[in-house]
Amino acid sequence: MTTQRRQHTLEVLVENEPGVLARVSGLFSRRAFNIETLNVGPTEDSSISKMIIGVAVEGHSLEQVIAQLDKLISVISIKDVTPKAKEVNDTQPDYQN
Amino acid sequence: MAKHVHTPNGTEMTGATSLVKSLEAAGVDVMFGLPGGAILPAYDPIYDSTIRHILVRHEQGAGHAATGYAQVTGRAGVCIATSGPGATNLVTPLMDAAMDSVPLVAITGQVPSAAIGTDAFQEADIRGITMPFTKHNYLVTDPAEIPGVIAEAFHIATTGRPGPVLVDIAKDALQKMTTYNWPTSIKLAGYNPKTTPDAQAITDAAALIAQSSKPVFYVGGGVIKANASSELRQLVELLGAPVVTTLMARGAFPDSHPLHMGMPGMHGTVAAVTALQKADLLITLGARFDDRVTGKLSTFAPNAKILHADIDPAEIGKNRHADVAVVGDVRETIAALIPALKSALAKNKPDLTAWLRQMNSLKSTYPLGFDTPDDGSLSPQLVIQRLGQISGTDTIFTAGVGQHQMWASQFISYEHPRTWLNSGGAGTMGYGVPAAMGAKVGAPDTTVWAIDGDGCFQMTNQELVTCALNNIPIKVAIINNESLGMVRQWQTLFYDSRYSNTSLDSKRVPNFPMLAEAMGCVGLSCDRPEDLDKTINKAMSINDQPVVVDFRVHRDAMVWPMVAAGTSNDEIMIARATAPDWDSQEL
Repeated sequence: MTTQRRQHTLEVLVENEPGVLARVSGLFSRRAFNIETLNVGPTEDSSISKMIIGVAVEGHSLEQVIAQLDKLISVISIKDVTPKAKEVNDTQPDYQN
Repeated sequence: MAKHVHTPNGTEMTGATSLVKSLEAAGVDVMFGLPGGAILPAYDPIYDSTIRHILVRHEQGAGHAATGYAQVTGRAGVCIATSGPGATNLVTPLMDAAMDSVPLVAITGQVPSAAIGTDAFQEADIRGITMPFTKHNYLVTDPAEIPGVIAEAFHIATTGRPGPVLVDIAKDALQKMTTYNWPTSIKLAGYNPKTTPDAQAITDAAALIAQSSKPVFYVGGGVIKANASSELRQLVELLGAPVVTTLMARGAFPDSHPLHMGMPGMHGTVAAVTALQKADLLITLGARFDDRVTGKLSTFAPNAKILHADIDPAEIGKNRHADVAVVGDVRETIAALIPALKSALAKNKPDLTAWLRQMNSLKSTYPLGFDTPDDGSLSPQLVIQRLGQISGTDTIFTAGVGQHQMWASQFISYEHPRTWLNSGGAGTMGYGVPAAMGAKVGAPDTTVWAIDGDGCFQMTNQELVTCALNNIPIKVAIINNESLGMVRQWQTLFYDSRYSNTSLDSKRVPNFPMLAEAMGCVGLSCDRPEDLDKTINKAMSINDQPVVVDFRVHRDAMVWPMVAAGTSNDEIMIARATAPDWDSQEL
């Protein structure tokens, strides 16, 4: 399956609670999504943190990344704030086991 | 559901009592568990609770029992264990429940909050460990949070796509005094599952179906979770298209129905596998394009458009692009599709006669079958077939994982939902006995048979002690082929019959009937086909004790048909080196 490698930036609001960074980074790791950059900071609401995640999408769709991220109960909202999509061709092997 | 005495909010009590009162408020009537140091404060109020606590012999048994209970009743199963090894023994059942979308709530004790992070005795970061395969999990260190967290845990486990939730509670949070406060409503900013499908998606779905001349219903376990069997039947009969039910969906649609082509996938029927391969539309309901169904993904159903209805938006397009996606509860989806399809068919009703004729021809040409061993020994498929025929279609069957599981899915006719319980996604050997225990607790008046392998049985049989001592009279059929049979089958086919570490060596060690007797069960055995019915009838006549029957079967029986891992469904084999005779088929 030939896919395209594209860079996206997601703005993710999460519950400000212990373990939330592990939930998000663990999801990316086990689903084989690529994090390029990750920045976490506070918001005006002390119960909510904001993550800015640079995602390199290949072999799956951005929709899939967002949908899986959205399944985390600690994730409140996700916004694609990509300034301008960069595209690079890439090849991903067909998954089988 | 159990009726518990209502505890008013504002009552002062320990965190432990607050936990038990919260479980009562959540409607829990039974839980499976085993105490230890960190969870011990909770076991004191459990002693007085109206919740039935069943003391297991291994925490893995508690987890699978809770799953069996949940699969039969549709309610959340509950298991409870202590910190460290108690909690890690729940890891397999939690992973199993996540893969098969089972509503489960697991409660674990944690070391006191001041000791967390110090490698304290029996400390394990169970929240960290279980993050990948729980729908959500919690670590509670403040007793005031207990009622709210328990309410959320049950809400999350049972709504949307069901799944397991773990609540880890520090020992000091259980010991401290707190004010009980059961929430009146649950608000989770990051959780709002969509159950009602979009009207436009329903209209598009109906239009797509009405344009199709080779549609097939690809039915998954979500239909059972959503209690959508009767709606499914109406929809199927409205269109008159063939149906396949996946391993997790066996019983969602009656096997006896003429439109049922059987199970698709690696060990599916020729008719079911071919229906998917040759279809021009898959009407996918609560299924997830698992690799065991699709075979090599790039060659799966190459000419089919995909209508994908699922409650989990992340399943849409995960493995296969959906031409029309319907996100929502599958029962609501089907109920909305019925009138929409009626009006779409009124404008344009495709003629499915040729398609059905092709599928029925495959169904009659390639029925499931098996060879009778030449040496007069028992055929495992015959044992399982007779178990199904003699015990009847109301019986609940569970299975372990392997050849016996596939034969139990193939050779028993499932007519009703929630009568077939197995470990589909996880493939957990040892699931069968504890799941049967939980199923029997959830449906005490129903016959429950665990069909187990001799390998699987040796992983979790200790729960038969629990069954014997707690009046849980399940029946266990050990399909004893002295082997890890499915792995042996792969060695036969793909490793030049080099049987590395798949022989369990002897039909006599362990002596299963004696082992059963030692655990307080009735132990029976059967070696010869002529004794088969008599032995099954004997087992059926014992209802005050668990029964274990050691069926000593032919070792070389194989599961057919088979699509080898990583190959295309088009390469289905009906026996070793034997493909269906495609040239004689009009496809």
